[in-house]
Amino acid sequence: MTIATFPPEPKPEPGWGRYFGFCTDAKVIGIQYIVTAFFFFLIGGLLAMVIRGELITPQSDLVDRAVYNGIYTMHGTIMLFLFIFPVLNGLNNLLIPTMIGAPDMAFPRLNAVAFWLVPIFGFLLMASFFVPGGPAYSGWWSYPPVSIQNPVGNLINGQGMWITAVALSGVSSIMGAINFVTTILRMRAPGMTLFRMPVYCWTAFAAQTLQLIGLPALTGGAIMLLMDLTFGTSFYRPQGGGDPVLYQHFFWFYSHPAVYVIILPVFGVFSELFPVYARKPLFGYLYVSLASFIIVGLGLIVWVHHMFPSGVAQWMRNLFMVTTMLIAVPTGVKVFAWLGTLWGGKLRLTTPMLFCLGGLFNFVFAGITGVMLATVPVDIHVSNTYFVVGHFHYVIYGAAVMGIFAAIYHWFPKFIGRMPYEGLGKLHFLLTFIGANLNFLPMHPLGLMGMPRRVSSYDPEFTFWNVVASLGAFLLGVSIIPFLLNMLSAWIRGPKATHNPWNVIGLEWLLPSPPPEDNFGEDVPTVISRPYGYGLGKPLVEHQDEIERKLELQEASA
Amino acid sequence: MTSSSTRSINTTAVAGLSLWVGVMVLISHWMGEQAHRWLPVQASTAAPLVDDLFSFETAIGTFVFLGVVSVMAWVMLFNRAEKYDDTDAFPIEGNTRLEVIWTAIPFVLVMGIAFWTIRATEQLGTLGPMEHIHVRNSAEEVGGYPGDRLPAEQVEVIARQWSWEFRYPGSNVSSTELHLAVNEPFTFRLVSEDVLHGFYIPAFRVKQDVIPGRAIDFNVTPTREGVYRLRDSQFSGTWFAANQSDVVVESAEEHKAWLEQAARSPLQPGLSLAISEYATRQARSNPGWATVPPAPPPQVNVPGSPSQPHQA
Amino acid sequence: MTTTTLQQPGAPAEHEEHPKHNLTGFIIFLCSESVIFLAFFSGYALLKTSALNWLPQGVDGLEWKTPLVNTIVLVSSSGTIALAEHFKNRENMLLFRGFWLMSMAMGAYFLYGQAVEWSGLQFGFTSGTFGGTFYLLTGFHGLHVATGILLMGLMLIKSFIPGNYSGGEQGVQATSLFWHFVDVIWIILFLLIYVWQ
Repeated sequence: MTIATFPPEPKPEPGWGRYFGFCTDAKVIGIQYIVTAFFFFLIGGLLAMVIRGELITPQSDLVDRAVYNGIYTMHGTIMLFLFIFPVLNGLNNLLIPTMIGAPDMAFPRLNAVAFWLVPIFGFLLMASFFVPGGPAYSGWWSYPPVSIQNPVGNLINGQGMWITAVALSGVSSIMGAINFVTTILRMRAPGMTLFRMPVYCWTAFAAQTLQLIGLPALTGGAIMLLMDLTFGTSFYRPQGGGDPVLYQHFFWFYSHPAVYVIILPVFGVFSELFPVYARKPLFGYLYVSLASFIIVGLGLIVWVHHMFPSGVAQWMRNLFMVTTMLIAVPTGVKVFAWLGTLWGGKLRLTTPMLFCLGGLFNFVFAGITGVMLATVPVDIHVSNTYFVVGHFHYVIYGAAVMGIFAAIYHWFPKFIGRMPYEGLGKLHFLLTFIGANLNFLPMHPLGLMGMPRRVSSYDPEFTFWNVVASLGAFLLGVSIIPFLLNMLSAWIRGPKATHNPWNVIGLEWLLPSPPPEDNFGEDVPTVISRPYGYGLGKPLVEHQDEIERKLELQEASA
Repeated sequence: MTSSSTRSINTTAVAGLSLWVGVMVLISHWMGEQAHRWLPVQASTAAPLVDDLFSFETAIGTFVFLGVVSVMAWVMLFNRAEKYDDTDAFPIEGNTRLEVIWTAIPFVLVMGIAFWTIRATEQLGTLGPMEHIHVRNSAEEVGGYPGDRLPAEQVEVIARQWSWEFRYPGSNVSSTELHLAVNEPFTFRLVSEDVLHGFYIPAFRVKQDVIPGRAIDFNVTPTREGVYRLRDSQFSGTWFAANQSDVVVESAEEHKAWLEQAARSPLQPGLSLAISEYATRQARSNPGWATVPPAPPPQVNVPGSPSQPHQA
Repeated sequence: MTTTTLQQPGAPAEHEEHPKHNLTGFIIFLCSESVIFLAFFSGYALLKTSALNWLPQGVDGLEWKTPLVNTIVLVSSSGTIALAEHFKNRENMLLFRGFWLMSMAMGAYFLYGQAVEWSGLQFGFTSGTFGGTFYLLTGFHGLHVATGILLMGLMLIKSFIPGNYSGGEQGVQATSLFWHFVDVIWIILFLLIYVWQ
């Protein structure tokens, strides 16, 4: 390695056109994923506004019931497959190579193919609104027999397009997972043992392992569903001897681990950001890392808790109740580790930190309702009601989406090279926190009182909390405006960022902002200590002072 | 020197912490009590079990939530960096004893809740389907059942897109309004003629998916007279939200009288909101996206009333 | 301070990195792919054990002798492909290509046997759960056999490009691994469908 040549002379800035083409640089692909994901986030959010608009009154008076069912189905499908999984893959692309000192992903072209599948199946899903019969309408679960009824009777129908789109999404995700896991296993910087790797990489590793194990089960179940729908087979059709509950097993064997695929990287973000903004090492780094894989193991053996009211035997309910309750333990280890990190720290309540704190607050609440849902008698009462809708929106919007916003504000300077605006960021946080709580807290009493989910109309006694929830939803809709304004104006004319504006101890912060195409290239620094060494005074890598000096010189001359 | 002052700081800290923990315990207990108010009236033997469990979980959950949030509030108030202070805080990388404690206590807690729940549900025995009988084809479930029945009164529940039919084979009565006698155990046999449905009566705290191709036996004992709602809880298509019925719990005498009256009433179409909405919809010049048409309303002795008030 | 960049011949060095990754990635892919088959297998087992009438009307069971012959052929082809790899490592390209081609032929014979069996069956894809699962399992597996033959063909063609094997072994190793995978899946399938009747 030659220090004399690092950091490289800044090359002329590549055009922004490469964001619209087939580019194999993981940092470009990462941005492509994130921007595409937010485009679909807006569409999914618009659908949510229609849902809450319908539910602000008890009667079915805004849209036709069939339209409502298509809308809530597509809201869930878009938010999961076109927003949250792609945005997390985007973060993986940006963060994994730079955090471990790799020049790119292990398979750059596979990486680009995996991304481009997203707009393709996204288009397929959007197109399903316009085919005869409309889009899929049986919820994002697509339980048979409803999902194979095919009232319009065509070969090309919304449900078939839905299944195809989800299958393509699975292919894209598996390509990504192979890439992420190989990169983490094989391309770490010299000196970076697994236990010197940032926790974000641990959680990404854990999440992608879940994708690899779980997705094929969903694919298998979906193939059989498509056969039933299109060719009249009887895998799930009772008249032919099939079993609708079999589909539920296939579906949930993936879709439960899928929620850990969503939340684990967010846990990683919290583990990265709390140390920075409290200026303290991560409390119990080893246990936090290992807990990620305990969650993987347990996460694969809890899926029947989504099926307690279906025809499963009592012994199965008890077994899965026990395994589900156990997940609270490694999750608790992480939560307490974050509290231990914050305790006695020197907190700076910047926008990323606020989103992390808000996310943690919401997550603990959601974790508690989760334990309630794990106990069978309570679950029998509240499953398939708004209690569950409230629970998972607290996790997904209240915790995961807030964690994603935190990550975007935190790493924006690194990958875009400009600073986002703090004022707009704090406004975004405030509106999001209030809006999310107003929208999703009322869903819990609604569920307890017995309001089912997925309904286009309800009994009048549920009106009050529905009105509150709808108002919260409209506030959430508004909350996205300061975020979009911030991103756009900061990207175009925000103040230029130095290589380490937040003073982070991390390998990616030893790169210029934005990093060159091959990151460290051949000159990867050797890692000599554990991450998060705030207050310990140890350098992260060999020759760290020289690297920092060169970066500062480069910034001064720019 | 500082020895006495550190001792007094420690005493203050311990006292303050104990006081705050005491406050949290009080609030948690209060929340546990409040939890009962968020639930519908208790109208079956299962309800007190479910409500007590939920109340207990609310209390524990409140304590945990308050604990975490008070730590967060404390650090946000008292552990802030000074305005121009860029330096790091005192580094603490971990504490193995603490890790063991905060792994062991939650483990014991959740396992305790789980095993208490298992024992309680076994004692109660109303939850959980009794047995599954596979039905050969839909034609066989109309009339003629195997004779392996329990002594309690049987009610057959037929779920359709989008109506609920209740049959009392012992009395030759059918209805789209469920009538039950208070304090008497009932066995439901749940069948579906088309897709998955969910048999959900919030006031009873019971829910069982109805699976086409199977007949599922299910026990309930109502404990409070009144009118309650039965709602379809497993998405079943376009008029899923309208697939709801009333459940009337009445005294044993009233129930017997109702059965006798019903047996003498002529058959008429039962309640199905989907039928009228479908007719209106299809009459429009552009009915909208294709939908499965509703099943014809079951012919029943007692359709029930579409607009009677219910308590839960 | 000089800024002369030390020009390392980057290309071969990078290529030395990537082949290691290709095989790793492929193995991870195979592990994931096996879960799809596991899902189909468990679906088959669940439907079979809970069915009232498993076999369709007029079907008494599956003929197993011819499929057994096909099985022996397919499993032997794993042996021949291993031999082919062995000779390639000894740089004996003639025997490598010979045994490689033999494996392809045996795979093709297996597919032919499968097609013959399918055409003689008395039930279809939509004949209840048995028909559905039978054709799904054997069809999905057959697709993988066909893919394997295609990959082998590709590797065979590439073996004629001079100097291809300084860095091209990965493809042969991966294809061979895929072929063994397809064989193991078939053995499980055979036990599940033909033996457990």
